[in-house]
Amino acid sequence: MLNDLQLNNILKDFDIAYWKINLLTKEITWSDHFLVLVRKQDTKTASLEYFLDEILHKDYRYDFREHFGQLISEFKPFNLEVRLKLENGKFRWFECRTLKKKENSLEDSVVLLFVNIHQAKRDQYTIEENFFYYRETAEMTSTGGWYVDSASGAVYWDEVTKKIFNCPYDYEPRPEDKMKFYAQEHRKKAQEMFKKCAEYGIPFKVEIKMLTFHNSEFWIRATGKPVYDKEQEIIGIRGVFQDIDLNKTNEINLQNSLDIIAAQNSRLFNFAHIVSHNLRSHSSNLSLISQLLTESKKDRDKLDLLMNVNDIATNLDEAIRHLNEVVTKQSILTKEKKTVKFEDALQVVITSTSSLIKRENAQIIADFDKLNEITYISEYLESILLNLITNAIRYRQKGRKPVIFIQTYQENGSNFLEVSDNGMGIDLDQYGDKMFGMYKTFHRHPEAKGIGLFITKNQVEAMGGNISVTSTVNIGTTFKIKFR
Amino acid sequence: MEQPIELACIIDDDSIYVNLVKKIIEIKKLSRNLIIFKNGKEALDYFRPILENMNQDKLPDIIFLDLNMPVMDGWEFLGEFFKIKNSFNKKITLYVVSSSIDPRDLERAKSFNMVTDYLIKPIELKKFEKIFDQEVA
Repeated sequence: MLNDLQLNNILKDFDIAYWKINLLTKEITWSDHFLVLVRKQDTKTASLEYFLDEILHKDYRYDFREHFGQLISEFKPFNLEVRLKLENGKFRWFECRTLKKKENSLEDSVVLLFVNIHQAKRDQYTIEENFFYYRETAEMTSTGGWYVDSASGAVYWDEVTKKIFNCPYDYEPRPEDKMKFYAQEHRKKAQEMFKKCAEYGIPFKVEIKMLTFHNSEFWIRATGKPVYDKEQEIIGIRGVFQDIDLNKTNEINLQNSLDIIAAQNSRLFNFAHIVSHNLRSHSSNLSLISQLLTESKKDRDKLDLLMNVNDIATNLDEAIRHLNEVVTKQSILTKEKKTVKFEDALQVVITSTSSLIKRENAQIIADFDKLNEITYISEYLESILLNLITNAIRYRQKGRKPVIFIQTYQENGSNFLEVSDNGMGIDLDQYGDKMFGMYKTFHRHPEAKGIGLFITKNQVEAMGGNISVTSTVNIGTTFKIKFR
Repeated sequence: MEQPIELACIIDDDSIYVNLVKKIIEIKKLSRNLIIFKNGKEALDYFRPILENMNQDKLPDIIFLDLNMPVMDGWEFLGEFFKIKNSFNKKITLYVVSSSIDPRDLERAKSFNMVTDYLIKPIELKKFEKIFDQEVA
């Protein structure tokens, strides 16, 4: 058998202190290690009262006294977690328990062990705390965890993930259902990223559109990382889903608002230009005339000047009409979009320009086979065609019969309209950037007003599309409109 | 009566404005001769052969240049004119005259060394007389 000293050494190595209690005399002996722990060299002070008052944390006094009393009087063993004040004045966690007695042994003493469980207790707290933070964060950020087992294909979702997808709590996704939670247009992308991760261990972090349990679309940020076993084989993929639908929707809305604001701003700029240039030039001419009127002596001069007033009035009227035209064209946006057949729109335009077409003997060839209709505001489509067709006829090449070729088609999921002519063309290197500006004319042409293409561009862009131009001088011009 | 200047030049597409200035120059006898161009290109087409023949007498003493014009606007004219200006010695006073009150236009015009001033339309009669007086003095 080990003697007390040997036993003490072993216990000390394990950081275990103990009391030996003589059940007959009720005398308590503190082990050396216990004395070291609480820094008490004098064994005489090893009284229960001292322990209760000075060493044991007050929260456990009642419980300890109860248990200890029962141990002595009824030999009832106990097990209690307590906090003890150590020599450095700090409290540490200990498990206090009676040493198991052998069956039927009659002993006159009992041993009470004090096992240091501080680290374990602290780990437990840390784990509880981390779990708390994880839960709170997951709830607050709508972030749920998931795991896919490579071998079985089994899918595991945590509670938050189920909540994100609006699933019942007892719902367990089946392996074959994995892809049905991805929006149709993103399924291929999802499949590829899972495949890459499962086969080559490439992690992913994407923003992707998914479907809830009830099939409504929403945006998710998904991350996935491979899980390896000891042999460095990929055995599964685990990651998180974060519901970013609100953010994404806001982002998209914000971008739309930005685009609208930018477009409005450019229109405002053009208004400022008309007001500053066109309206002001007329008013300044008027003021110049009035000065001259007071200065001129001869009736003949005065009459000449009055003739000019008449011209100014006409010009001013026209400038205001243009301004009005721009405003009305832009307010039409509130009209409802509907399916418009290109052929119908073209017929309306041909009818309204029939005299011009007849006079210039223009030929219009249209091919709408690849795309015969579009969801649009019909007034806009007619106005766009009208401007491009009259432009093409107006700027025809002298001595050449004007031919206009119109076609529609689809490319990369977008709808296109192209209007080509065999007209005089334009030097885009010189005028390209001004092509669609207001009151920009490039030809010494009496009919050039510089407003048609400006309005066309505005209409196309107001509907979310864009317009571009290619041209060769003396050969012809092609306008290409990409609808949204 | 002061001696008027020899040749003034207007580059502007606003025919009403041009006629009015023409009248002012006639009435006030501000210049002996006046040449008028509808845009920058017409003016350049006139200046180029003159410079090739070194016939400086046919160059204007003063130019009133509009900014917004079709075919070639005032800015492009300034750029082109700057390239050929160094080939002659005659002093030419150039005023940019525009109805634009956009401060950016004003800044840009002043960035050209050869631009004497930026005049906003309408120009008062007295201002016209003052400009021509300065030229003679």
